[in-house]
Amino acid sequence: MRPGALPRLRRDALIFAGLLAAYLLFSGIVTNSYYQLMLTLVPVWAVVGLSWNLFSGYVGLISFGHAVFFGLGAFAVALSMSLYDLNPWLGILAGTVVGALAAVLIGLPTFRLRGHYFALSMLAFPLVLLYVFQFLGWQEVSLPMKRQEPLLWLQFTDPRGYTWVALGLLAIAFGISLAVENSRFGLTLMAIRQNELAAEASGINLRRWKMMALVLSGAIAAAAGGFYACILLVVTPEAVFGMLTSAQALTVALFGGVGTVWGPLIGAAVLIPLAETLHAELGNIIPGIQGVVYGVAIILVMLLAPEGIFWTLRDRWARLAAPPPPRPRIPAPLRIATAGGAGPLLKVSGLTKNFGGLRAVDDISFEVAPGEILGIIGPNGAGKTTLFNLLNGVLPSDSGTAWLDGQALGGRKLHAICRMGVGRTFQVVRSFPRLPLLDNVLIGAYGAGLTGAAATAAAEDALARVGLLHQAGQPAGQLTNKGLRLMELARALAGQPHLLLLDETLAGLGREECDEVLTVLRRLREAGMTIVIIEHTMHAMLKLADRFVVIDRGRLLASGPPREVVEDPAVIEAYLGRKWLAKTCSK
Amino acid sequence: MTDSGFTRRDALALGAGMAALGGAGRARAQAPAEVKVALLAPISGPWARQGLLMKMGAEMAIDDINASGGIRSLGGARMRLVVYDAGDSTEKAKNAAQRMVAQEPDLAGGTGAWLSSFTLAVTEVTERAELPWLTLSYADSLTSRGFRYIFQSSPTNDNQAIAVLPTLMALAERATGKKPTRLGLISDSTASPQSFVRPVRATEAAKYGLRIVVDETFTPPLSDATPLIQKVRSARPDFLLFIATNVPDDKLVMEKLNEYGLGQAKLPTIGNGGHMAVPELVQLTSPEILEGLMVCMANWPGKDQEALTRRFVERTKEPWMGHDSIFPYAHMMIFREAMERSGSADRNKVAEAIRGFDIRNEGPALFFPSKRLKYDARGRLEDAQLVTVQWKSGVPQLVDPPSMATAAAYWPKG
Repeated sequence: MRPGALPRLRRDALIFAGLLAAYLLFSGIVTNSYYQLMLTLVPVWAVVGLSWNLFSGYVGLISFGHAVFFGLGAFAVALSMSLYDLNPWLGILAGTVVGALAAVLIGLPTFRLRGHYFALSMLAFPLVLLYVFQFLGWQEVSLPMKRQEPLLWLQFTDPRGYTWVALGLLAIAFGISLAVENSRFGLTLMAIRQNELAAEASGINLRRWKMMALVLSGAIAAAAGGFYACILLVVTPEAVFGMLTSAQALTVALFGGVGTVWGPLIGAAVLIPLAETLHAELGNIIPGIQGVVYGVAIILVMLLAPEGIFWTLRDRWARLAAPPPPRPRIPAPLRIATAGGAGPLLKVSGLTKNFGGLRAVDDISFEVAPGEILGIIGPNGAGKTTLFNLLNGVLPSDSGTAWLDGQALGGRKLHAICRMGVGRTFQVVRSFPRLPLLDNVLIGAYGAGLTGAAATAAAEDALARVGLLHQAGQPAGQLTNKGLRLMELARALAGQPHLLLLDETLAGLGREECDEVLTVLRRLREAGMTIVIIEHTMHAMLKLADRFVVIDRGRLLASGPPREVVEDPAVIEAYLGRKWLAKTCSK
Repeated sequence: MTDSGFTRRDALALGAGMAALGGAGRARAQAPAEVKVALLAPISGPWARQGLLMKMGAEMAIDDINASGGIRSLGGARMRLVVYDAGDSTEKAKNAAQRMVAQEPDLAGGTGAWLSSFTLAVTEVTERAELPWLTLSYADSLTSRGFRYIFQSSPTNDNQAIAVLPTLMALAERATGKKPTRLGLISDSTASPQSFVRPVRATEAAKYGLRIVVDETFTPPLSDATPLIQKVRSARPDFLLFIATNVPDDKLVMEKLNEYGLGQAKLPTIGNGGHMAVPELVQLTSPEILEGLMVCMANWPGKDQEALTRRFVERTKEPWMGHDSIFPYAHMMIFREAMERSGSADRNKVAEAIRGFDIRNEGPALFFPSKRLKYDARGRLEDAQLVTVQWKSGVPQLVDPPSMATAAAYWPKG
């Protein structure tokens, strides 16, 4: 459970229970079997939307292929019932397992892809299955009619039965989504969505978490598909694997709001009856017009409420009061691992990286002593950020090695290096604007493997260290640039690192703001933190760093105490050009 | 007819009828009641054209019935058609059926929904609502579910496959004097064609001494028919069965056959289903390309229905009346007959009356090739017969059975 999640969880669950009760009551008095069918379809598609949201909404990888899980669930029920006379409840369970397995098989190859490529590859799976099922001769599978024991066989004569089962399914899917959203799981997924690199640098094992999300999502979609087969009674590959099914999952979630449990509910409650009513009323006047009107309605809502109805309404009407900040605290002393001996904390030897013909990092070696602040300077394009990327595992090096505390870093994954105690910030700050500051920082703590109260304490400590504790409840979107820089620093600190790699933390800050951040960094050093910082702002670096390493065109140009280094002619030439060098020397 | 139960509704109807017959002139009070029947067909989406053709046939029947005095045993009650759009998916078709039974509680019966998978879904609803449902769809599965309220007016796929070969063998032998021995098959991968070719492959071809020399299955929509036709050409069958489900695929295959010099019945080609005899096909290709193409299907108005066809053409401006319009026309006539016989618009009585039909050479039976109207216990039309039409100068002409034929079959002498 995330800090502060409990009241939110309780509130959401209460609202949901209220809505559920109202819906039950309403469905109880509707006798028209067609309207009752609509009342059944709304929760079914809401479940599919929730399933989509659980993966694509939180992780941010758009799936155009959720029909694959839905269809497998539907066929699991249809085939098990028509071939083996299996009870559909068991069929739905079996479908859930099949959906989860399919998610594993789909995730293994496709998680290598990002962005559009992932979306496109997901599109392929239902299409493939559509043809496979046709090839297998299952073009139309109908569920045998059972006149006895309607509840057992899910063939109700009173259509309200379907609605109630659908609501049960929705309650389960909603419960799972709510639990995920308010837990470490959900926060981790949201971190992945914001910035995969930053998330991994915070110690998060991307593939594992994505896989868990997809498996859960696939299982839920399959359950919905299985129940849907009982409503449809005739399952055809086009009906369940078709593009429209995937699109429906996506539309209800996008329409209602992505990344919140309420989105798919709102989307389904509006769109499903709307589409049907249009089909029923307008379609009788001008056949086909229903599709046009439906499309225009969706386009309009997307234009007016680009993030979905939920977020737009919430932003406009319900400016949530920020929860009170945690009580001021004196942070626990930093847990700095004591190096085995008096040796350097970080030792870099002969690191080299080529991008094609360009040697971005060329045979660089240096050492960082515990408790030291090392400034890495150099002109733009010198290879500073690439050097960081090699150190914390974003990129593999071509040759050379680095050791942290005597342990080799080479060959390890990003999140593994983070867990060894290397914290990192990025040039461009990535925050989760809607989440409170504390949640933003918590991700660092989770990444380092902390859980529960320990994670919260680490996050609050980190916020206190950078002086943001009083703003812990505010959404990150309200912070200034300085605040965001400090927040990112806090996120790195929450992982309790031994070594901080800071990439242009001072960029874009005014002089006063810069001084404030410098004070924070100095305090960190006093507490025993070792820092390697890339920075352009020379005056700040002169005040901060104990030692400089100058890099130019991938090569180590100079190193030593700041004053000495800045007067080194080679450094002046690299920074300011030969002409300037001549001028300075002639003085 | 057979029913002896006399309900309040019957009494009312009878009363109304008596009043109409013997009452005082044009009194307003006895305005005949109205009975509703439904057409549920795709009016939007890729199959909309078929749905519209069905609607034309059904509407014409309703007008004919009302013009000739409505349902006499119900005091001249007028028949009214309510149309529901099955849309473009099984789900939409089923939802439309649900809407239909919920919003029209007084329906006497209905017909639809053209595509077998739509009909499968729709009848899951109508069966539970005990609504008599007449359909032109071919799938065997429709009438193998133990349903009691579905009546399938066309030979099922299996039976069509069994019926088609002897017809063709006879045609070929009559024209060429010898029996063909080499059969080619092209079929698409969807449900209906596959259930058609399955028995041909398994037993039927062998039964008539035919060897299948080429057997190609494709997944619609077809993008290029070249590889299919190349294989056909090199296998040199005596005739080709081409079983598809939509006009664009028909067009591609027929054009390619012409391109390879196999068109215009140089290689006798036989298709299946109403879509191969619609006006769009000749608009998309040309009369030359289609010349000689034979299409077997479950119904087509023959020379005995020439008056009907002429009126249909006048009324709708369609170039001819075909498979998709004659069926709903016949189905409306069946509902009228059932209501006349049962003296009731009650759906259960209507269904009971249809189950009791055994009509030959009269009434609604005249609209079927076999001229016989009797549904078996499963709801299948007994002795359902196939008809064969052949494209001649851009118009499909009925060539078999000879009793209905408007033209003689053309089979190249090889």
